[in-house]
Formats: sequence, C-alpha cells, structure tokens
Amino acid sequence: MTMEKRLVLTGNSAAAEAAALCRPDVIAAYPITPQSSVVEHLAQMVYDGDLDAELVQVESEHTAMSVVQGAAVGGGRTFTATSSQGLALMYEPYFRMSTLRLPTVMAIASREMTSPETIWSGQQDAVSVREAGWIQMFCESNQEIVDMIIQGYKISEHPDVCIPVNVCYDGFYSSHSISGVSLPGQADVDAFLPSYSKNYSAILDPNKALALDPMTPGNLLMKYRQNHLASMQNALGVIDQTDQDFAKKFGRSYGGLIEEYRCDDADIVIVTMGSMTGAGKDAIDAARDDGIRAGLIKLRFYRPFPAARMVNALKGKKAFCVMDRSVCFGWDKGSMYVEILAALSASAEKYSYFSAIGGLGGADISLEDFLQLITQLNRIKNTPGEHKTH
Amino acid sequence: MSYIDVIKEREDLVSPGISACAGCGGELVLRKVLQVAGSNTIVAVPPGCMAGAGVIGWNFDSGMKVPVCIPLLDNTASFLSGLSHVYQRKGRGDVNIVAFAGDGASADCGFQSLSGAAERNEKILYICYDNEGYMNTGYQRSSTSSLGSMTSTTPIGSKTAGKQQHQKYMPLIMAMHHIEYCATASPSNMSDLIAKVTKGLEASKNGFAYLHVFSPCPTGWGYDPNLSIEVARQAVRSNLFPLWEMDSAGMRLSYTNRSPVSVAQFAKNIRKFRGLTDDNLASLQALADARYQTICNLAGVS
Repeated sequence: MTMEKRLVLTGNSAAAEAAALCRPDVIAAYPITPQSSVVEHLAQMVYDGDLDAELVQVESEHTAMSVVQGAAVGGGRTFTATSSQGLALMYEPYFRMSTLRLPTVMAIASREMTSPETIWSGQQDAVSVREAGWIQMFCESNQEIVDMIIQGYKISEHPDVCIPVNVCYDGFYSSHSISGVSLPGQADVDAFLPSYSKNYSAILDPNKALALDPMTPGNLLMKYRQNHLASMQNALGVIDQTDQDFAKKFGRSYGGLIEEYRCDDADIVIVTMGSMTGAGKDAIDAARDDGIRAGLIKLRFYRPFPAARMVNALKGKKAFCVMDRSVCFGWDKGSMYVEILAALSASAEKYSYFSAIGGLGGADISLEDFLQLITQLNRIKNTPGEHKTH
Repeated sequence: MSYIDVIKEREDLVSPGISACAGCGGELVLRKVLQVAGSNTIVAVPPGCMAGAGVIGWNFDSGMKVPVCIPLLDNTASFLSGLSHVYQRKGRGDVNIVAFAGDGASADCGFQSLSGAAERNEKILYICYDNEGYMNTGYQRSSTSSLGSMTSTTPIGSKTAGKQQHQKYMPLIMAMHHIEYCATASPSNMSDLIAKVTKGLEASKNGFAYLHVFSPCPTGWGYDPNLSIEVARQAVRSNLFPLWEMDSAGMRLSYTNRSPVSVAQFAKNIRKFRGLTDDNLASLQALADARYQTICNLAGVS
C-alpha cells in the first residue's frame, strides 16, 4: 500500500477529494447550502488542472441529475452532490436514475426540509426519498465519507447490483466540521476501483442502435421492478463484502450494513444513524462506567434495509430505542423506528422499546440527550411493549 | 446541389408505419432531419407527438435505425448535455447529438434546462417542432399557442373564447443566448430547412445549435391534412413565422417577404381560429408586422 495522505478536511472537502480519487468522467452539481463547498472544491481542482473530468456547471439540481443521467447512459462514471430542496427538485430524474439501473454516487449533505424555512441539518431530505430505488447510506465521520464514496462506486457498479448510491452525511455537523482524514493514495484507489467499464445495457451508441426506455407494458415493467428488488437484496451481501475488501486494502472496516458498538452483553440498545452516533457512543461509554449494560447499533445502510442483521443484533436484548433525525408523518414516530419494528414484526413484543426524535432543523442531539434515553431505557427494560415517543 | 439531390439518396431512418396523424408536420420534418443527419447520430425525443407516434418504439414494432431515447418532458437538453460531454471525452465528437422536441418540452417545462444548455454552449443540435400546443395529449394550450387559439384548455366558452395571450417568441429568445447557430424553418420551404439542418449539425460540433421549426397540425388545429404545407406557407407569408438564421456573423433573413398575406388570410380556414375577434385579428396582424420588422432590423435589411 502506498502512503495515505493525512489531511485536515471538512466533510464536504473530504467528499470532493474522495470523488476525485474515483476518476469521474463527468461531474455536474449545483450549489446549495450546506453542500456548496463540494462543488466549489471540485471546481477548484478542475480549474487548477488537478482533476481531469468534465465539469458541467448547471443551472439547477434537476439538470445536475439529468446531466449525470445522460453521461451514465453514454457509459461515463459520474458524480454529483446535493441537499434538501435540491434533492426535492431533482426527484424526477432521481427516480429514473435508479429505475434505469444507472450506477453513480451522489453525496447528500443532509438538511431539513422546508417549511418552516430552514437551512440546517436534518435527515428528512434523504429519508423522504427512500422509496426511489437508490442505495442510501449514512456516515458518522469525515473519514467514513471518504471511504464510503470510494466504496460507493464499487457497490454501485457491481454487476449484481447496478444501482446508484447516496452517501449521506449530516449538513453542518459533518459537512462543515473539520477533522483529520486519511486520504488513500491514487494507485491504491485505482487498484480497488478499476476504471469504469459499463456492465449494463442502458447505453446509447450509434455503433449499436437501440431504443432506450420505450413505452413499456405492465407485465414487462413488473419484471424490471422484480429485478430491481432482487438486485437490492444482492446489494446486502455486496455491501458487507465490500467493507471487508476495503478493510484488507486500507485497514478500515465499518461493519458493513450496521455497526455494533459494545452490544455483546448489552441489555439496552440505542439505534442511531449519521453523526449523532459520536455522542451516542460517548453516552454508552459513560453508562458502562456506571455499570449499565448499554450498547449502540449504528444503522449505516438505510436502503437496502438490513433487516436480518438488525434483528440479529437486537437478539437477546431487553430494551431499545431508535433515535431518528427525521419524522414519519404517517406513524407519529421516527422513520427508522418504523422500519426496525417492521423488521422485528411479531418478535417486537419481547422488547421494551420506544421512538425518539431529535436534531430536526439543526437542533443538537447532545450527550445529555443520549444519557436521558439510557436512563429511560433502563427504567422500562423489564416492561415489554411500546412506550411513549421521546 | 438541390435539396432533392441531397435527400433522395439518403436512407429514411424512421421506421414506416408510425402512428403520426395524416398530414403531420412533425413527422415530415423528423424524417428529413434524420436523412440529413445520417446514422452516426443519437436522438432524444421527449414525451410528445413524435414519441407518442412510436419513434422510440411501440409494441416492439416501430422505432428508428439510430439510437433513440425518451428523456423526461423537461430534461431533454440537460440529459443530452451529459451524453455529449461523454462523447467529447471519448474523442467521438463526430457523433451527432440531436434533440427533437415539441414546444411544450422546449418552451414550457423544458425551458429551464434548454436555456441552461444553450448558455453553457453544449455541443447539441436542438430542434423544436412547434405545433403550438400539447397536441399529443389532446390539444392543450402551450406558451407558443397564438392569441385566440382554441385549445382544450382555452376553449370557446360563452364568456371567454380562445387563448388570451400572445405566444412566446422562442427562436429569438434562444438567439439571445449567444449560441453557435439559431434559425427558424418551415416544411413549406424545404430547401431552406435542409440547409439549416446541415448548418445546425455542423455548428453543433462547436457548440449549441437551435432550430425552431413550424409544425402544422391538422388534427389539433382543424384543417384538411392535405393542406399542411399550404398552412405552413401561409404562416411564413403572413410574417407570423419569418424565416431567418443567426450565427457569429449576425442575423440573416432567409425569406424576403415582398408581398405578405394578411393574418386573416392565414387564419380563415383553420378551425382553431374560429373564435378570433376583430380585436384579436388586429393584434395578431400588428404582432406579425412587428415581428418581421424586428427581424429585418436585426438583419440590417431596410
């Protein structure tokens, strides 16, 4: 392995540097808070001649995703990034990107959805489009952003997957926080991620004329959806395998679909996603010092949902709470919470559990918040059933 | 060489038997465009009449002999931007990247992505076939429907009759984007149209080329299908649709209209204009006169 470069970077710069290491053919992005410095950083690299890529400076996110889509249909490796309102604006080509089965990686510096008017952190943007057919993963640290953008291409372009990937990280908490990051060497990334060769048939080329995406009858459309769903399930294995392959090459493993922190002998467990995990782990450590057997599960991949691994990780525990940075309007709960209950189905009745929602619109999720959740879990752990939303 | 010599040898790259209406201006123009462009071409046809008629395939029986796709109604120019960049990067800039889009996909919801691609001077030939409404879905109003037009969303009601606004004059808006080439064309002036498609394709190797083509629609407008070319000719001769082209050398008038016909003459046999009031007609006549004068002024023609 060549030397990694040790740098001090914001989450956004980490995302940009990692994207550049993946040698994209085409980059198209539109600035939006808190993602803007991803585009700025990449533009600087292209303008300085440090990155050989087509930089398409578009007039909207709808166009950013459309440019990326056209480039992918031509056989190019692509990158884009966005946040909240931008993601909402690109929803139309976003859905088509996954259903055309076009690989790409898009970073989302996640941000609350308006209204009320806000520019601050929240995961409602990405979580709200979880049924649009993309793979979605959430990062805890700037290092994880780097490593997951590189892994993102590997997963997305895998012949058994062929699904675009969102690498999400919390706006401001991650996008603007500065930390030490090890940036892999170009030769190592090239070896891990060979140059892009298309492994899908959605390609426009005069040498092989075809009609791409003509009006499709329902029975054939259902077959395409079935294939897409099956590939999503294939991704479960590919994601865990890619984590191991990456660890062999670069020495860092994140646990694949989920990370379990001090869970082995835990009675009570907190489930987190994204940057809140740091404070959550500190709270677990503090509780352990007080003799409370607490653990944490970090959900890393929201799509495909790692139901089997989640159920397995919760096995033998007494109580859990799920800390969501978004809401599920239809259920009066957090979104991730609802999905975990779906995964547990009837076996949920063995547990004491509740939904916790926090950190919306940039609000902090503090160490104190997690300590309170632990106290609450400890109190209810021998009273199975659902408890009041926190 | 006459345009007939240019196209008589060229293969028709659109399959026969597509389901366009008899007398469709759009189909005629599409076939000619592809004869000129040839097989080293990729075409994007967004939702609209031509897509509905089956040029991207329908029941696996129709299509084109070149790669063709249906982008979204509002992202034709941006989708092709990405495709064009990849082809430039592959060193295959010789491939023609062509959009064939209706007025709705160009002037209405597709306008932002079109304007963006033009401003970035993307290497694309974008052809708008303007039949002045959403004809494929039942003749709804678009921003290029002309004043007084009866459409299914601007009906002849007992209180209000027809479209209440003038059309957006797209070609001049596009010309103001400082693109490589911008022109208007009509199937009534086929020699001129073929020459402009040829120039547009050449220009698209260096940047953005835009061609706005008058596309008469017997079904949506209400006239006999055998009159399509005549309707297109009258539109040009009435000065509602002046023919011109613009490149880095400036604007040129392509058809000097020495004896214009009146807008009333153009409109009289077209059913969509049956609700025109005298005020509407006067306003349309003033618009046609001013439009031709504007083009003459820009072209330096006195």
